Amino acid sequence: MTTPVNPTGSSNPERRPDASMTLLTSMLERPLDPGYQEAADRRTAAGLPAATSTRTVIVVVLAILTGFLFATAAQALRPKPTAAAAAKAELVRRIESLQAEGTAQEAKIAALGRQVQDYEALALRQSGGADLSDTLKKLEVRAGAVPVTGPGLTLTVDDAPGDPNADAGSRPTTGFDSGQVSAADLQIVVNGLWGAGAEAISINGHRLTSTAAIRFAGQAIIVDFRPLARPYVITTIGDPDRMQKLFEPSFAGVYLSQLNQQFGIRSSLAASDHLTVPGDSAVRLEVARPLGSDVGSPTSRPSTSDRSTPTPSPAPADLSTDLPRGSVNSP
Amino acid sequence: MIPAIGLLVGLMVGLLLDPSVPVWLQPYLPIAVIAALDAVFGAVRAVLDGIFNDKVFVVSFLSNVLVAAFIVFLGDQLGVGAQLSTGVVVVLGVRIFSNVASIRRHLFRA
Repeated sequence: MTTPVNPTGSSNPERRPDASMTLLTSMLERPLDPGYQEAADRRTAAGLPAATSTRTVIVVVLAILTGFLFATAAQALRPKPTAAAAAKAELVRRIESLQAEGTAQEAKIAALGRQVQDYEALALRQSGGADLSDTLKKLEVRAGAVPVTGPGLTLTVDDAPGDPNADAGSRPTTGFDSGQVSAADLQIVVNGLWGAGAEAISINGHRLTSTAAIRFAGQAIIVDFRPLARPYVITTIGDPDRMQKLFEPSFAGVYLSQLNQQFGIRSSLAASDHLTVPGDSAVRLEVARPLGSDVGSPTSRPSTSDRSTPTPSPAPADLSTDLPRGSVNSP
Repeated sequence: MIPAIGLLVGLMVGLLLDPSVPVWLQPYLPIAVIAALDAVFGAVRAVLDGIFNDKVFVVSFLSNVLVAAFIVFLGDQLGVGAQLSTGVVVVLGVRIFSNVASIRRHLFRA
């Protein structure tokens, strides 16, 4: 049993090196039914040719039977599209068409928002309040109403390797996978980035405004009521060097590296000179406050535009506050 | 040549008729197909070796299919159906490969 196997494979006349593998050897060396040889020997002994014809009726019948068996088995065992798969395809189709529709609507909102901005600028110019437009721009950036471009950091966070969604047909499990990025993780990271001096943040193209929440719904992370798919790309605008210096030793940075060490959650931080954080297309005017006395304003139109900034009016009194929190004027 | 035409005819008939296989028979189909393949390749090799015998072919074909089906049935009853099926597939697969290698040596001398 312990005879070493001869690596060259040459057989030893006294004792075969693979004597312990007779089963494998006989299987590999004599795969043909010994019955054929015996029948041939019998026929030779009886004075007949060793082989019979391959054109006998029974061989043809068996050949037809074999083909029938192959075809039947192939058709019977091919996975058929089940009702669940059809329903899933239908759902995927519907989701995709609705997403396309949503994208189109968002583009429309952006176009209309630009139009409103132009009207606002025009109204401001006509009213003669030049410094007001600067304040307005600053507030729009803070409220997340307009896109922001500039240097910044891109932080990519992804689930641990080992795709839990490999089998798309399986039922979703309700248990939480510890290798998955959770909404709380993203909250901590985003708060860390704010703390490090970020001026604007978006996750997978969704701008984080003061009213946007990062939440969990089932297994999906919801940002501002829109579900995200991994990987989670957090784009921040701000001084990259300073933010990196502040973020990495902060609680959020340490938390992120702990996530990586303990659960394998991947993250990468990259600085860039030119990043764009989109505006939040769903920003609505919720609170507005009149700015002092209405001195001959030509722009006292109802404030129904899609903006969170106060309706401009000539007196630039209280626009310096971050967010208007005065009298409610819900649209 | 004629058996090959018969095989093609059988394939056509099976594809065109598309018979519905009863559910209780379906677990045996894959193993039966492997066993039939083994018998067919064995027969082709025997033809090339010059020792083909129609009775041996028929008997080996039928016994292969039946024994393979029986092993799967027995395995299912004993709760080791998957393992026994794997064993059958491995053994028959090795045989098919060796027979095909022998056929290849006959046909291409390589």
